[in-house]
Amino acid sequence: MDDKYKFIDFLGLRFNVANCLSALIAALLVFILVYALSRKIKMRPGKAQNVLEWMIDFTNGIVKSAFQSDAGKKFNLYAFVLFLFIFVSNQLGLILEIKVGGFSFVKSATSNPIVTMSLALMSLLLAHFFAVQKWGFGGYLRNFTRPYAFLTPVNLLEEFTNFLTLSLRLYGNIFAGEVLLVLIGSVAKSFGLVSFVLAIPIEMIWQGFSVFIGAIQAYVFTTLSMVYIARKMTKE
Amino acid sequence: MAGILVLGAGKLALGDMLFILISFILLTLAVKHYAWGPITKMMDERSNKITSDLDYADSERASAEKLKKEREEALKNSRAEAIEIVNKAKDNGDEQKKSIVASAHSEAESVRQKAKSDAEKAKQDAMNDAQNDIANLSLEIASKVISKELNADDQKSLIDSYIKELTVNNGNK
Repeated sequence: MDDKYKFIDFLGLRFNVANCLSALIAALLVFILVYALSRKIKMRPGKAQNVLEWMIDFTNGIVKSAFQSDAGKKFNLYAFVLFLFIFVSNQLGLILEIKVGGFSFVKSATSNPIVTMSLALMSLLLAHFFAVQKWGFGGYLRNFTRPYAFLTPVNLLEEFTNFLTLSLRLYGNIFAGEVLLVLIGSVAKSFGLVSFVLAIPIEMIWQGFSVFIGAIQAYVFTTLSMVYIARKMTKE
Repeated sequence: MAGILVLGAGKLALGDMLFILISFILLTLAVKHYAWGPITKMMDERSNKITSDLDYADSERASAEKLKKEREEALKNSRAEAIEIVNKAKDNGDEQKKSIVASAHSEAESVRQKAKSDAEKAKQDAMNDAQNDIANLSLEIASKVISKELNADDQKSLIDSYIKELTVNNGNK
């Protein structure tokens, strides 16, 4: 909660070491996972290939249900990587939390609003980019006046609320999970052995629940990203 | 956490955003190159293969069905044909039998007829021979008896007339 972070200033930009390191580790884990699963690709899939194809089918299903057609095929890869990256990031903080000298270095990257805002910004930028590409800039602007012109302010406001809800939902869930883990950890240390033994099952339950929440939030984030992109690409 | 945002009001951690974006893009490219490309290609190939295999199976089944129908048809036809052939052979046999019997009948009839006519002729010949012999004999006897050389022809006709009378009388009896 009252974590302290190391900052590095570079080229006039401020880097939070914990965020960057966590995101890097998550990205590496995703890559290692996918790389390991895709080694022997054959017409008759082995176990590893089956797992990978199952994940791909899952994210393809998300994209397909958002677009209701085959128009979303080019977002399949994006949905796949986004889902895996968020999922691994969510779980990372449950398994690994590294603090050195009071400074956090490794945790869930998604328990920081800057990271989730980056991801949400990326999805929404994609949505706007493809909307402009599809309708032209004029058509893209006109889409804000649909279905009625007097709803334009609401539509504009919606863009900001979309961004905020998308990013803060993920951040809130994962951050709260980590906070509670830390709190249970401090309970364990409060009354010696008795509280330690008592805290173990509670911590286990909460970790299991956090795994569940992490999976759900990754799914929700991916689904909503695809829904926003799909909505931008269809006339209302 | 809120502390960061407040502290960062002077200097927001924009570097993080950049870092996340770049690392995410790199991750996407790496995943695409090492896993996504090959595996989606394989999945497409597999779905194409399944489609083509299904089409192939359909066409094979249709042709097998056709072949079966043809064979059944041929079998039915051949059965009918066989029956026809047997019937024809039977008819032919009957006809042949009839004609053979008929020809045998007619042949036997002709043989009998011939034998009858032959016998008739032989009888006639024998009768004529006998007639001549008797005529000559009686002529000789008469000439010897009378010892008068009658005209042989007159004599013969006289005797013939006698004999004819005799035979007519015989036939009347």
